[in-house]
Amino acid sequence: MTKPGHTEEWGTRLGVILAVAGSAVGLGNFLRFPGQAAANGGGAFMIPYFCALLFLGIPIGWAEWTMARYGGRKGVHSAPAVMGVIGKGAIARYLGVIGVLIPLAVSFYYTYIEAWCLGYTWKYMTGGIGVEVGAPIGEQTATARSFFDNFVGNNANGVVYGGDYTTLIFWVLTFAVNIWLIYRGISKGIEKFCQWAMPAMAVCALIVLIRVLTLGTPDPSLPEQNVVNGLGYMWNPDFSALGNAQTWLAAAGQIFFSLSVGFGVILNYASYMKKKDDVALSGLTASATNELFEVGFGGMITLTAAFVFLGLSGTAAAVQTGTFGLGFATLPVVFAHMGVLGNFIGAIWFFMLFLAAITSSISMYQPTLAFFQEMLGWSRKAATTLMVAICVVGSFLVMYFSQGGRFWTTIDDWVGTFLIFILAAVQIICFSWVFGMDRGWKEMHQGAHIRIPSFYKFIMKWVAPLYLLIVFFFFCKNNLADWVRSVAEDPLRLGAMLWIGAVLLLLIVCTVIGTKRLRAQGVDIDDRQPLED
Amino acid sequence: MTPLGWIFLLSSLAFVWGLTAWCFYRVLSYEEEGEPIQVPPASLGG
Repeated sequence: MTKPGHTEEWGTRLGVILAVAGSAVGLGNFLRFPGQAAANGGGAFMIPYFCALLFLGIPIGWAEWTMARYGGRKGVHSAPAVMGVIGKGAIARYLGVIGVLIPLAVSFYYTYIEAWCLGYTWKYMTGGIGVEVGAPIGEQTATARSFFDNFVGNNANGVVYGGDYTTLIFWVLTFAVNIWLIYRGISKGIEKFCQWAMPAMAVCALIVLIRVLTLGTPDPSLPEQNVVNGLGYMWNPDFSALGNAQTWLAAAGQIFFSLSVGFGVILNYASYMKKKDDVALSGLTASATNELFEVGFGGMITLTAAFVFLGLSGTAAAVQTGTFGLGFATLPVVFAHMGVLGNFIGAIWFFMLFLAAITSSISMYQPTLAFFQEMLGWSRKAATTLMVAICVVGSFLVMYFSQGGRFWTTIDDWVGTFLIFILAAVQIICFSWVFGMDRGWKEMHQGAHIRIPSFYKFIMKWVAPLYLLIVFFFFCKNNLADWVRSVAEDPLRLGAMLWIGAVLLLLIVCTVIGTKRLRAQGVDIDDRQPLED
Repeated sequence: MTPLGWIFLLSSLAFVWGLTAWCFYRVLSYEEEGEPIQVPPASLGG
């Protein structure tokens, strides 16, 4: 069987692990996880959380790594082509288009959020965002909130393009760095950057963690607002929450989105691995690294710092404001209370979030680039040009229709959440049931540096798909009706859906062209002749 | 912070730090030696 021209490969195994871990570690590790844990049983949340990690996240991750490496051995690197090989035909191939749509569509708004992080870093390096410590706490929060709303264009459409171009400048910088890294290629761009960025992120997190844990009792008149009680706010278990299905759903959802399984990234990244490259230990290491940042840093820093300065009611109110309210409106108040080191810690914090975001965003561009190269037979330069054109239009729409974040949250709901469930379900079912569990198990252990316990065969075939379908059912039951209604009633949200529909149509057309092209080249895109050991 | 809070905190931290350290130890120690295990026999689930 013919393979398309040799493309690229990772320089080192550590490189691919750090790249996948970088893709998984994002803002959600530091901002979403602590809020979810505190609202769903505190320490008790960790029971369903670790169950979801062991029975859902890690096994689906292993399946993804294995499928991608097998696809790469067949000479294909895009999600539709890899899924077509694993699922043996057109249905899986066209469902695999979701694996390109997700990273591409999410990148439209993710780079914008990344630009907020860079912008806040700059603001803190140059004097902060104007929160006055002497003012009443409500006024401080209002100042931080107002700055955030203006900076991201929450108040009105189009404001990012008018008057103060600060946000736009940071977006251009962020986008340019992303494209430059992608254009340099897998090994020289993504791998080299992640090998530097991931340790840097850990150092930043460690600095902030040490500062938070040494805050003691900053206000002696409020002795209950101390670090130990702050940790207690996050970690004291409430076992009654375990009887609530919502807790289990929240835990599974957190693991699922945090590990980036079903996102389409691993399907591309791991396809550049060689036959004898390990996927078992690599997949586990990438997941473990993500957990270290989430539990080890995210679970220790955010709410503890908020509690020490804002107290019980202030922290509870901050959690209610959600991921971005907590990160961009509440924590600036906390930094303002840290005295002379406040701006420094603030700059470190937002730079860390920027690194977390950029290691994720570069992983969103690479699958799209590989897709255009493979399906259209274009050079890296031509494929990059097409991808940049689509991303610029998508990001400009997100930045123009910025009011209330309705445009980008619609994409986040439908593509960044709903479709991830679909793709993960397609992946684990194709792997366990179409490719075959016995064959998949053998393939997974090719070159493996650890032996996966054999009961994971049962987990991957039965438990993970069933677990996923149950979580998906309750997720749809809780959200879908509201989402459909909000799209039907809001022209802005409808516009976002139409834009995504147009992008999806383009990707499907490219897949039709690519299928014919790969067939003409003699590539075994339906896995008619399975590879031998 | 209750005693149970401490237990959950410390055991969660021990788990994630321990797992990550073990994984990286294995990755780095194989990075140069690089001799993978073979496909496990059927008796071990392979």
